[in-house]
Amino acid sequence: MSNRRSRQSSNATRISDDQMIDLVSKLRQFLPEIRERRRSDKVSASKVLQETCNYIRKLHREVDNLSDRLSLLLDSVDEDSQEAAVIRNLLM
Amino acid sequence: SSMNEEFLKKWQMGLQIFSPSIDNTSVSERKRAIKLSADVAMASLRKGTTCWSRALIQKTATEDNFLVRQMLSGIKEEPLINKKLPKVMCHRKIVRRSKKILMRRKSRSAMEEVAAKKLVKKKTQGLRNVVPGGEFMSSNVLLIQETLDYIISLQTQVNVMKSIVDAAEAGIER
Repeated sequence: MSNRRSRQSSNATRISDDQMIDLVSKLRQFLPEIRERRRSDKVSASKVLQETCNYIRKLHREVDNLSDRLSLLLDSVDEDSQEAAVIRNLLM
Repeated sequence: SSMNEEFLKKWQMGLQIFSPSIDNTSVSERKRAIKLSADVAMASLRKGTTCWSRALIQKTATEDNFLVRQMLSGIKEEPLINKKLPKVMCHRKIVRRSKKILMRRKSRSAMEEVAAKKLVKKKTQGLRNVVPGGEFMSSNVLLIQETLDYIISLQTQVNVMKSIVDAAEAGIER
């Protein structure tokens, strides 16, 4: 229904349905909630975009958390200990 | 996977650059170095071919220019640090005019379509806020392509960092 319009218009603010379907199929591997839906065309564009945003923020938090843990690990070991050697082998 | 290995190598290099000073630094400084070098490592995997990776390198360079230069020295990405990304002009008049034309039609389906467009626009703006360099991605197609690549790269970053941290914590508990 709106496909003809989206193909004709070059309006930069509009995502066409084809592009949305393509995005949904790729994001399916990443987003469990959307993966459960059988029919890709039923998923709204805004829902996919929102889930994508949430997922990226989640990944950012994970990186932050892992950086925290690692910096604490480096802090907690004695310079000459075996533990320090373990970390050094892994990282440096 | 080779992407994991490449990321690990580059991240290790970044940490090696930082390591001489590791005894004299605070935990928060260490965390900063860990995170910044992980970001540069992740971005450099793309060898300057994506908008998000160039934007991330530039952003990291403003926080620690020395680290970024050291990590990228001898690689093609070095000139990217100073390269300016073009800023997109928003043609407000054109957007306002087309909105007016659209609003003239009072049919319900047209109103719904306008509302849906607004929602999509709001959500794509949200995406632009979390993807590095999002503000420079004028087309939504580009934004989506960059987002997908960025997600894959973030997953690599998380997977490798997680393996290292898990292994280190396990090694220490023994």
